[in-house]
Amino acid sequence: MLDEIQKLKEEATASLTGLRTQEDTENFRLQFLSRKGSVAQLFEKLRDVPKEDKPAIGKSLNELRTFLESEFESAQKKIAGEKRADTGSIDLSIPGRKRYIGRRHPLTKTAEEIKRIFTCIGFGIADGPEIEDDYHNFEALNFPPDHPARDMQDTFFVKADAGKYVLRTHTSGVQIRVMENNKPPVRVIMPGRVYRNEAISARSYCLFHQVEGLYVDKNVSLAELKGTVAYFAKEFFNAEAKLRFRPSFFPFTEPSAEVDVNCFLCGGKGCRICKYSGWLEIMGCGMVDPNVFKYVRYDPNEVSGYAFGMGIERLALLRYGIDDIRLFFENDLRFLNQF
Amino acid sequence: MKISRKWLQQLVDLTDISDEDIAYRLTMLGIEVESYENLSGKYDGFVVGAVLEVEKHPNADKLSLCKVDIGREVKSIICGAPNVAAGQKVPVGLVGAIVPHNQHDPEGKPFELTRAKIRGIESEGMICSESELGLGEDKSRIMVFEADAATGTPLAPYLGLDDTVFDISLTPNRPDCLSHAGIARELSAAFSRKLAPRRIRFREEGAPVGESAKVEVSAPDLCPRYSARVIRGIKVGPSPKWLKESVERIGMRSINNVVDATNYVMMELGQPLHAFDLKLVAGHKVIVRRPQSEETKFTTLDGKERNISPDMLMICDKEKIVAIAGVMGGMNSEINDETTDVLIESANFSASSVRKTSKELGLSTEASYRFERGVDPNLTVHALDRVAEIICDTAGGTLAPGIIDVAVGKFLPRRIELHVDHVNRLLGTRLASGEIKRVLESIEIPCGKKSETVLTCAVPTFRGDIERDVDLIEEVGRVYGYENIADSFQTKLSFDTRFQEEGAIYDLREFLAGAGFNEIVTNSLQPADLAGLHESAYVTLANPISEDMAAMRTSLLPGALQSVGLNLSHGLKDMKLFEIGRVYRVTDDQQTVGTFLESDRISIVLSGTADPMSYDRKEAKFDIFDLKAEVERLLRYLNLDSWDFISYDTAKEYEQSLKLFVNGMELGLAGRVSEMTLKKFSVEQDVFFAELDLSKLLALRRRTRRFKGLPKFPFASFDLSFIVEDKTPVAKLIDSLRSAAGEMFRDISVFDIYSGEGIPAGKKSAAFSVALGSEERTLNDNDIAGFIEKAEKKLSEEFSAELRKQKIV
Repeated sequence: MLDEIQKLKEEATASLTGLRTQEDTENFRLQFLSRKGSVAQLFEKLRDVPKEDKPAIGKSLNELRTFLESEFESAQKKIAGEKRADTGSIDLSIPGRKRYIGRRHPLTKTAEEIKRIFTCIGFGIADGPEIEDDYHNFEALNFPPDHPARDMQDTFFVKADAGKYVLRTHTSGVQIRVMENNKPPVRVIMPGRVYRNEAISARSYCLFHQVEGLYVDKNVSLAELKGTVAYFAKEFFNAEAKLRFRPSFFPFTEPSAEVDVNCFLCGGKGCRICKYSGWLEIMGCGMVDPNVFKYVRYDPNEVSGYAFGMGIERLALLRYGIDDIRLFFENDLRFLNQF
Repeated sequence: MKISRKWLQQLVDLTDISDEDIAYRLTMLGIEVESYENLSGKYDGFVVGAVLEVEKHPNADKLSLCKVDIGREVKSIICGAPNVAAGQKVPVGLVGAIVPHNQHDPEGKPFELTRAKIRGIESEGMICSESELGLGEDKSRIMVFEADAATGTPLAPYLGLDDTVFDISLTPNRPDCLSHAGIARELSAAFSRKLAPRRIRFREEGAPVGESAKVEVSAPDLCPRYSARVIRGIKVGPSPKWLKESVERIGMRSINNVVDATNYVMMELGQPLHAFDLKLVAGHKVIVRRPQSEETKFTTLDGKERNISPDMLMICDKEKIVAIAGVMGGMNSEINDETTDVLIESANFSASSVRKTSKELGLSTEASYRFERGVDPNLTVHALDRVAEIICDTAGGTLAPGIIDVAVGKFLPRRIELHVDHVNRLLGTRLASGEIKRVLESIEIPCGKKSETVLTCAVPTFRGDIERDVDLIEEVGRVYGYENIADSFQTKLSFDTRFQEEGAIYDLREFLAGAGFNEIVTNSLQPADLAGLHESAYVTLANPISEDMAAMRTSLLPGALQSVGLNLSHGLKDMKLFEIGRVYRVTDDQQTVGTFLESDRISIVLSGTADPMSYDRKEAKFDIFDLKAEVERLLRYLNLDSWDFISYDTAKEYEQSLKLFVNGMELGLAGRVSEMTLKKFSVEQDVFFAELDLSKLLALRRRTRRFKGLPKFPFASFDLSFIVEDKTPVAKLIDSLRSAAGEMFRDISVFDIYSGEGIPAGKKSAAFSVALGSEERTLNDNDIAGFIEKAEKKLSEEFSAELRKQKIV
């Protein structure tokens, strides 16, 4: 029996020196140290050993087990250590694995920024249909039938119902819908897609996106409109943004104005972008026309309001210095990846 | 519209005011000056020269050596034109001048004159042709001026070009500014300069006008006023220099002295006029009426035959139509070289009638443009007097005494009461009543004081756009100056949440961008075949730009494939894209605008190499499971924890396709786009596309999940694999395992699907990692053995599955 123990010890020691991999150590464990391994088998045999020999043989078996377990443990550690040390030979200059980088679209980013600015000062957000009826797109906004003002916006008509429905030319129809469904005060912005039947070029596309705003309450004045627009411009462009309000005409506001911001590209000296005027047109606005209030059953003697509208593409073009509006809708990754 | 400064100067004194100031003040009055050009700058360095001597160039047959007097000195100039001769007055460009048009350049680009030696002899300038100066077509000969042209005069003033032309863009509410007189009125207010008094001089002779012609208006609803004058014995011919230059300056073509005079007065005063050859007006009688039923065609003076419809207003004589009222005259009564007697029409037509007619004919003219915006009905007589003065001056003839004037009544100023506090409330100002009166009177709106706080304003007929007090308030604001109104910003916050909350969509965008997707925005207008790809009830446009954009999309797929195609054409082959956009279709639903239903969708596009691209892993292309992974990740992000992908036999646009259901609600589709569809977009690599209904998705998302205590006991994880029939769906095995685990279920994932060596033919092995747990205790070996026994039995019953391997970690 002692011979067997000695033999197993030699065998196992030889085996230990040959351990190289994790797999080797596992095999070693299975062969010698597992529940059915060689050491366990010898312990089984201990039962058959004469009583007087048991202490000595048992002692040397225990010694063998302790020895092998500790040898095994250090062999294991050594192998694990060697494995870690291997990493030193890896070329760490190899670039990391390339993963996709996602980005939001510049139009979305611009729209989100505009929404953020207005929601910060208490504007809600409203939405409406893009296929709009004549009433909401024109009539209730004080565009009488056969009025030249309708020529200001080249309109797409839907084939069904013979011209009764249009692809909305502005989001102003949502103003009407908001007022139809809410009592004053209302304070809301209306972002969305609008359509114009214009030839596609670097400067115009068959559709674009607008954000309109509407505030109706007691004693809302042009001065308040100017202040709100000034706040927006300072937030959106920069704190030094200078504005000018030029009288203009929209059927649904009276008085009406176009708002220009001083050209931030040339500092107002005149450049290609501002057409050498030093000013960039950014939005139209005005005081809600009393006729519009009549359509939505608001009393113009009780309340007044302002409305404004701006083109998101226009603002994004200016902000990023993009020179062709079509780029927004082509989705060229080389374009999208710049924002 | 083009406005000439020289012309304005005759109407209001603008001395010492710069072009820039004029442009700025007009713009700030709401009359937008798009650009202006000082014409005199155009011919800097050009003068009128007198050719003194002409000799042959010693080294070139076709060239001449000329001595040209330019006033201060005599220059030697080489000239190649055959018509150069001593004694001529010619345009001379001196060294440094920019020649507007290079005859030898295919694009005609301008060039700068330099001192140059031509065949050994120096030339100190250039004698120019019409073409080189951009004044005409003639390029073979030099331009020769009248003999009395003063030698040495700069060219611009000689050509009458000491002028500035303003290009003005007018809003449709300001027809009163569609003339030099209208602009002059605004400038007079802006600069506090008095309008020049206008005296019209003419002499009337012979029989009264009533004996030469008659006018009958039988449609007064469409023609509130018709005035006319008759001039006999005129001589039609070219216009004199001043008249020709004036109309050409503002972009009109000079025709003859009579037509130019009518155009001139229209551009000066804003009243469209028309001259008829009186001899061609049958019975010398003008009848203003609607067409009779047999009158369906009419040839306008541009030579085109037009279709006439019953609602249009016609100018007729006793036999026929002679003009389409307010739009264009006819060939049959046009002024021609033989014309001697003319009838000048100065009328006022209904704006909406002219607009309808012009739209229907597809014919817009200077006259119709003005009429459809509204012309002052009190202008007709004044304009007739002015045009009579010019015609008699330039074409001779005798003016018949008197004016034929048929009108529905008198046209009086509109009286509007204006409350001072209303003005201040709407503008946010503190203007006194006297200040408001001063502002309004500067634009010729006289105001009386009804009381301390109420003004009575008399709005002249040329301001038809001012109908209400609010319109007057706009005038006050406009002329007082928006820049003089102080900003106010006293935001009242409103905290109600009546309106749609957009945070969730913003959040989704951020999530998808973070997951490596580029956001795209695509055209919602598509060709009909693509719009109809998913859905036959698509919306079509009555007046599309082109067939390529004749219908509205019913899916985000076409736009996505267009974007994929564009990037592939640029060699960019790997992409993850998403779009949040709207689709449109026709429906029977009553809850919509018309019969149109709009819904928002979210799409996901995968094409090319799967994430990550790496040097040490085998390149993998995106496949349907990457697509499912992205959709599932999105669902998990929205806190959904169960969903079903149902495979279905597909519509033509997909090859592998799945419908996604959550809580029994269909959310959308995911699949590999079919080759047939890809071909339409010239896409030659696989595209995986999913499209979900955004509103449903957001409605289903779990928003306020309550916090659940963290598990107190560790999970037990182990692997199981089963051998099943090849066709058994793995998703069903997962469902069964889940239900076998019951309360203890925590997580499950597939880690291997294998068939081949060691597995019987027609079968596959599916291996799962399962995690079980309990709220009460750590699970022991018996719990797990119990689960495995149960699972083995269940799967064996349901799928004849055979447990292959188990491994407890």
